[in-house]
Amino acid sequence: MIDGSAPMIRLGIRAASPFATIVGCYLLFAGHNNPGGGFSAGLVFGAVLALRTIAGFHRPTYGITLVAAGVFVVAGVALMPLLWGDPLFDQQVLSMEVPLLGKIKTGSALPFDLGVAAIVVGTVIAALDGLGAAEFAADPPADSDRGERA
Amino acid sequence: MIFSLLVLHVAVCVVLACAGRRLGRSSLLVGAVPPAFSALWGAARLEAGQPATADLTWVSGLDLAMTFRVDAFAGIMTLIVSGIGVLVFVYAFGYFGPGAAHTGRFATTLLAFSTSMLGLVWADSVWTLFVFWELTSVTSFLLVGHKSTDTEVLAAARRALMVTAGGGLVLLAGLLLVTGDAGTTLISELAPVDGTAATVGAVLVMIAAATKSAQVPFHPWLPGAMVAPTPVSAYLHAATMVKAGVVLVAVAGPALSGTGAWKGCGLAFGVASIVWGALGALRHRDAKLILAWGTISQLGMLITLFSVGTPMAVLAAVSLLVAHALFKGALFLIVGEIDVRAGTRHIDELGGLARSMPVAFAAAVLAGLSMAGAPPLFGFVAKETAISAALELDGAEAWIVGFGVIGGSVLTVAYTFRFLVAVFGPGPETPLSDRRHALSVPPAILALAGIAAFAVLGPVDAVLGPAAVRLSGGAPVAHLHRWPGLAPTLGTAVVLVIGAIVGLAMGRRPGQAPADHAGRWTDASIDGIVAFGRATVARVQHGSLPVYLVTMAAVATLAATPFLADVSLDHLVGWHTPLQGVLAVAVVGAAVALCWVGTRLGAGLALGAAGITVAAVFVIHGAPDLALTQLLVEAAIVVGFVLAFGHLSRSFPMTGLRWRTVRMTVAGLGGVAVVIGLGAASGNPVAAPPLAELAAASVDEGGGSNIVNVILTDIRGLDTLGEVLVLATVALGVQALARAPAGTERSASTGSSAS
Repeated sequence: MIDGSAPMIRLGIRAASPFATIVGCYLLFAGHNNPGGGFSAGLVFGAVLALRTIAGFHRPTYGITLVAAGVFVVAGVALMPLLWGDPLFDQQVLSMEVPLLGKIKTGSALPFDLGVAAIVVGTVIAALDGLGAAEFAADPPADSDRGERA
Repeated sequence: MIFSLLVLHVAVCVVLACAGRRLGRSSLLVGAVPPAFSALWGAARLEAGQPATADLTWVSGLDLAMTFRVDAFAGIMTLIVSGIGVLVFVYAFGYFGPGAAHTGRFATTLLAFSTSMLGLVWADSVWTLFVFWELTSVTSFLLVGHKSTDTEVLAAARRALMVTAGGGLVLLAGLLLVTGDAGTTLISELAPVDGTAATVGAVLVMIAAATKSAQVPFHPWLPGAMVAPTPVSAYLHAATMVKAGVVLVAVAGPALSGTGAWKGCGLAFGVASIVWGALGALRHRDAKLILAWGTISQLGMLITLFSVGTPMAVLAAVSLLVAHALFKGALFLIVGEIDVRAGTRHIDELGGLARSMPVAFAAAVLAGLSMAGAPPLFGFVAKETAISAALELDGAEAWIVGFGVIGGSVLTVAYTFRFLVAVFGPGPETPLSDRRHALSVPPAILALAGIAAFAVLGPVDAVLGPAAVRLSGGAPVAHLHRWPGLAPTLGTAVVLVIGAIVGLAMGRRPGQAPADHAGRWTDASIDGIVAFGRATVARVQHGSLPVYLVTMAAVATLAATPFLADVSLDHLVGWHTPLQGVLAVAVVGAAVALCWVGTRLGAGLALGAAGITVAAVFVIHGAPDLALTQLLVEAAIVVGFVLAFGHLSRSFPMTGLRWRTVRMTVAGLGGVAVVIGLGAASGNPVAAPPLAELAAASVDEGGGSNIVNVILTDIRGLDTLGEVLVLATVALGVQALARAPAGTERSASTGSSAS
C-alpha cells in the first residue's frame, strides 16, 4: 500500500519506530505508579508493528504464538501464589538495590503486565494477518530490517 | 484411599493413552490392574460398618465439591463395577485376537468408563454424581462406536449418546429443583422432600434414570448398542452403566418417595419395561439382542422394586441387582465367545453347541437358571424376595407390582428357556474355531458365583442387609431366605413350569425378528432435532454484519428500559469548566458528521475525531490512564481502517429506505438508552466511591501508586485475566476466519454447530 512512491512516510515510520518502542517500554514499566500499563504498552508496540507492516518492513507472523505465550504468563502469575498457599493473584513485591540505578521496586504485576502486552500485540498481529497485511511484505524493500524486534 | 484409587485409575488411563499403540493387546491386561485394586478395596470394605468418605472442596460458597462416600451399597456396587471389570478386561484380551487393531484405544476407553462408573457409585454430592453420570455417557458412546468405520455402528453410538446425554440434561434440571428444595447437595443428608419444585424434580430425576436404564419408551438405544464389542455389552449394557439409572433411583428414593409422583412414575416405567422387554426377548432371533431385551425387562423389575421402597422390596432389588450383574454378565460373555468362535450369533445358524462347547453350555445353564429364578441359585433367592415383597403390599399397588413381578417372572423363565434351547439346542453342527481360555473362564467364574452366593447366603445377607437398610431410609432389616416356605416354593414351581413350557415351545420355532420401529422413531426424532438446529442456525447465523449489529444494539437498548424510572436530573450540571462544553460540541459534531458523510474515509476520520475528543474529556476529568488508552485504541483503529479500505469500495453501498429507517431508529434509540443508563447510574449513587480505601489498598497490598493499574493487575486481577482471555479468543477467531477459504463460512458455521 505504501510503496516506493511514498518514501517520506516510510522514512518517517522507520525513524519513529525506535522512539515509539521506547515509549512503549516506558509505559510498561511505569504503569505501576504512573499512567501506563500492559495494555497501553501493548497497544503502542502493536501500533509500531502495524505501521511497519504497512510500510512493508515487517511480516505479521507468530501472532497466535505470542497470544498463547501471554496467556501462559498471565495464568501463571495468577495461579503461582496458590502454590505457597496464598490467595489467587496475591501480589509479591520485590525491591532491590542496583548499582547506578539506585533502588528498584517491582513485583509480580510486572510479568502480569508483560503477559497482557504480549496478548495485545499478538492480537494486533493476528488482526493484521487476518486483514491480509502480509501482502505488503510480499516484495520486501531492499533496505528491509524486519526481524529487528518482534 | 478413595482419591488414591481414582488417581491410580486416571494415571493408568493416561499411560494407556500414550503407550497403548505400542502395548497392543497387552494393554488390556494393564488396564485390569486398577479395577483389581478397587475390587479388593471394595471387598475389604464390605464388612466395615462406617462409610469411607473423601472430599475435595472447589468453591465452598457454591457447595461445589468432589464429595465421595462409600457406604454399604456403594461397596457392593464397587465390587460389581471393579470385580466384573477385571473379568471383562481379561475376557477382552481373548476376544480381540492377536492381530486386532486399536486394542490400546479400547483399553483406554474401557478403563475411563470403569473410572467414571466408580465415581458415579461413590459420589455423595449430586454434582459429583452428575459429572460422572455424563462421563459414563461419553465413554459409552466411544465404546459403542469402537468400530468407527461402520455407519450402522456410528448411528447406534449416536442414538445411545443422544438418549443418555439428553437424560443427563433432564437429570441436571431435576437435581437443581430437588437440591433447591432440600437445602443440601449431599445425597447422604437429603431429607424427605415434598414441595411442588421437589415433585417436578423427582419426576425429572426418574425420567433421567429411565433414559440411562433403557426403560420404555427410551429403550431403543440399548438393543442398538449391541453392535458394540461383546466385552462392552457385558460390562456396560448388563452389569454397570445401565444400572446407573437404577442406582440413582435407589439412592434418591428415600428422599424423593415422599413426593406422590415418584412411585407412580417408577411403577409406570418399570412395569411397562418388564413386559415389553420380555416380549422383545421372546421375539428377537439374535442371541445378543435376546439378552439385551431381557436386560430391559430386568431393569424394569429393579426400577419397580426400588420405587416401591418397602424394606422387603429394597432388599429384593439389591439382591436382584447383584444377581443380574452375575448372570447377565456371564450370558453376554458366553454369547461373545460363541460369536467369536462360530462367527455368528443368529439363533437360526447355531446348532449342536451343547456338545461342542460343554463349558460354555454348563455356565449358560447355571446363569440361565439363576436368571429364571430356579434353586439352588442366587437368582432364586432374589426372585422369591421380590415376590414376597409384592405380596405384602395392598390396594392397587399390590395388583400392579404383583402383576409386574409375577408376570415378569413367568416371562423371564420363558425367554430364558427359549434362549438356552435356541442357542445350544440340537441342529446341524456349527463349525467352531479354536478354544481360547480367556474367553471361557470369566463367564464360568460369574456363573459359579451365582451358586456360591446361594451356598453362603448368611454372609451375603449380612452384606446386602445394611445396604437395603440405608436405601429404604433406615427401616428395620429384612432377611434373605434360602427356603422361603412351602407356599412360595409351590408358586415358584408353577411359574417355572408355565414359563418353561412357553419357552421350550418357542425355542426352535422359525420366525422373523420384529422390525425395529421404536429404533427408527428414535433416530427420526434425533434427525429432526439436528435438522431443526441446522435450520435455526441458518436463520440466525445468516452472516450479515449490519443485521448482527442492529440486533445487538436493539437488545442493548432493551436492556436499558428497566432503568427508565431511576433517571434523575438533580445531579446533572452544565459543565465544570467551559472547555467541556466546547469538547461536547466537538463530539456531537463529529457524530453527526459521521452519519452524514457518504465515503468510508470520511466516516473513519469523523469516528477518529469523536474518539480523540472523548480522550480530551478524560484528560480534563483527570483520568490520564483512560485518555492514554483511548488515544492508543484510536491509533490502532486507524491502521485497521487503512488496511480494510484497500479491500472495500470508496463509498458506502446504497441501502433501501426501509432498512435505513430501521438502522437509524435503532441507532437513535441506542443513544437514548446510553443516556438513560448514565442518568440512572449517576443519579443514584449507592455509596460514596471508596477512593480513600482503594488508594490505601493500592499502596499497601498492590505496592503501586497508580490505582487504576493496581486494580487491573491485583485487586481486580481476575477480571483482567478474563478480559485478556477474551482478547486471546478474538485473536484466534480472527485467524480462523481469515484462514477459512472463501465461500465456506456458511458450511463451516453449520458444520461446527451440528457436530
